[in-house]
Amino acid sequence: MIKKKICMLGAFATGKTSLVRKYVHSIFSEKYHTTVGVNIEKVQVHTENDDVDLIIWDLYGEDEFQKVRASYLRGASGCIYVVDGTRKATLATALNLKKMVDNTIGSTPFILAVNKSDLEDQWEIDMSLLEGLQQKGVFVVKTSAKTGEEVKKAFQELVKEMLCK
Amino acid sequence: MSQKIDKHNGLDELKDLLIKEEKEKIQRIERRLDDPMVRAKEISQSLPEAISLSLINGSHIPRVLQPVIDESIKISVKNNPETIATAISPALGPGIRKAITSTLMGMIQSLNHVVNHSFSIQGIKWRFEAFKSHKQFAEIVLLHTLVYRVEQIFLIHINTGIVLEHVVAGDIISQDPDLVSGMLSAIQDFVKDSFQTNAGDEIETLRMGSDRSIWIEHGEHAMIAAVIRGNPPLDLRIKYRELLEEIHMKSGMTLENFDGDTLPFSIFRKRLEEGLEFKEKKMQKRISPLLACIFIIIFLISVMWGVNVFKTRKSWHQYLLRLKNQKGLIVLSAQKENGKYHIYGLRDPMVKDAQLLPGKKSEKNINVTFNWKPYCSLDPEFILKRANRFLKPPSTIKINLSGNIISAMGEAHQAWIEKFRKTAMTIPGIHGFNDKMIKNIDMNKLDAAVKKLAAVKLYFQSNSTKFIKGQEKILSGAVDIIKKIRKLQSKVKTNIEILIMGHTDSSGSERVNRRLSLERARKIFNLFIFQGIPPDFLTPIGIGNKIVLAKENSTKDRQYNRAITFKIFYKNLKTGQIK
Repeated sequence: MIKKKICMLGAFATGKTSLVRKYVHSIFSEKYHTTVGVNIEKVQVHTENDDVDLIIWDLYGEDEFQKVRASYLRGASGCIYVVDGTRKATLATALNLKKMVDNTIGSTPFILAVNKSDLEDQWEIDMSLLEGLQQKGVFVVKTSAKTGEEVKKAFQELVKEMLCK
Repeated sequence: MSQKIDKHNGLDELKDLLIKEEKEKIQRIERRLDDPMVRAKEISQSLPEAISLSLINGSHIPRVLQPVIDESIKISVKNNPETIATAISPALGPGIRKAITSTLMGMIQSLNHVVNHSFSIQGIKWRFEAFKSHKQFAEIVLLHTLVYRVEQIFLIHINTGIVLEHVVAGDIISQDPDLVSGMLSAIQDFVKDSFQTNAGDEIETLRMGSDRSIWIEHGEHAMIAAVIRGNPPLDLRIKYRELLEEIHMKSGMTLENFDGDTLPFSIFRKRLEEGLEFKEKKMQKRISPLLACIFIIIFLISVMWGVNVFKTRKSWHQYLLRLKNQKGLIVLSAQKENGKYHIYGLRDPMVKDAQLLPGKKSEKNINVTFNWKPYCSLDPEFILKRANRFLKPPSTIKINLSGNIISAMGEAHQAWIEKFRKTAMTIPGIHGFNDKMIKNIDMNKLDAAVKKLAAVKLYFQSNSTKFIKGQEKILSGAVDIIKKIRKLQSKVKTNIEILIMGHTDSSGSERVNRRLSLERARKIFNLFIFQGIPPDFLTPIGIGNKIVLAKENSTKDRQYNRAITFKIFYKNLKTGQIK
């Protein structure tokens, strides 16, 4: 069995935890987020060739009060950056976080999950911006905690990228 | 130009002469190197030896080959799973059996643990504690009897926090090791970040409550985290350190280049399981004073009861033996019914009750019921006893038994002698009797009286029927003797006839003397009758001087012939013979 550590990052209240809650297994309560700054979750992803256990380090949101602890990024094979489509600033935060990750552990496979796709009409982020990112090779997936289908796809894509690397 | 050619040819010739052999060798080597088939053949010949040498020198061949082998196995399983299944099935069976045995042994050990403590006072206390604390009884037992127990061991890749291998002791329920391992790594990072520790400083122990801790040993790429309950010895940490070093030594490269594949680390599973140490307190099996007292009392009661039963049985057997040996008893059967002994048999009435009943001190507790039928014992002792009882012999008689003949010895009155003769033969077991050694007391007395009377002489005056002086007293004595004779003769059933014989001296005529002597006899006869003696057995006769009592050499001598004498006759009533 292949096990991979991935980190899930994003600005405060982008819906990271809600996004994956349905699909992951965890034994720790939410309070770890605000105390230790991380919660550990696990999900099994089936790909064409392999079954991979993803150990998700769900890092507490980057905000003015709490920064992501760099030490938590160590050993991560991939990252999911979560952006709140209705808050443009969260994209900037995600891009900053990616820079920080790249600086800390080097370039790693990642995907950009733009959350709250069910509220697309209220989005502040331009689609053209996202398309521009996609053209640069960034895998962008529109997700919603309510629909959820894309979340599985996001995990599978990330696993593929990680295994190809 | 031609010179040059010549020179060149000459040089070649010179070369040929000098290095022809080497040149050919080089050409052969070139051919070998250029031909892949030849090369493969040569390598195939030297490869096994090369691998052996490499292993001896501690090379990385196994690590290098591992991905190849893994990949080969994957392909093989994918293409034809049956081949692998056939190959591993001989090893799989024993492995499964071993795993099941190990699990069962663990369960049995745990069960033994619980059972061992379930039936003691301590066990009851712990059960109560389990009830109060809502914990399982086995857990409480473990808490009290445990020195330490390593419940789980994680082998964690430091960089990623991913658990490489995880082992759990027997019945411990563990959380998802991946999540626990991740959080454990996160917490360590959190602590290090929060408290700005120096490089190389690591968390070595996490403690929860008073009896649970996590010992963490860090290596270059991996760490061992052991979840321990109780107080382990420091040696254990050294053991984990050595294990970690061994893991790094064997799989250092795999750890360094860890890509998420945990399979290579399964080889350390057994070594990690060896680290799941367990040590119990040596419980001193103290017996509570109350239990000890109860046990001693029960033991003493049992001993006393046992001794009592033994004594009773012994007494019973001794008593039964005594009864069996008792003359006059025949024990037919003896049995115990409802705690009471019953004896069936025959009993001679001569046997006294006191001889039957349990009499000795040891026999006092024997509760026995007799069922006797009477019978007559022909044991000589009983025949003799029975004879004594029937005959009631006087103290002067001793009765003996010789065979079936009874004999009496000693003195007895006529009446008893007659009884002896009559009844001796009627006594059971007696076929004859002997009375020759019995002296008849009455007859002896009669004989003595007769003898005494025969010696009596009454003297008269000359030619007179008057007594000389002093004869009255002799007469009185003679009366007493005759009365006695009279009495005794009826006892001995003999008729006595007494002749009162009158005598005279030689003076005078025969006719006068005969008359005088008769008158003297009649006088005595009359005197006797007057004294109350019946006349039927007295006969007065006068014999004159026919029987001379004394020679008459002088006048004085004549007096001895003027007398009365007595002659007594016995007449046997049965035969009529007179003696």
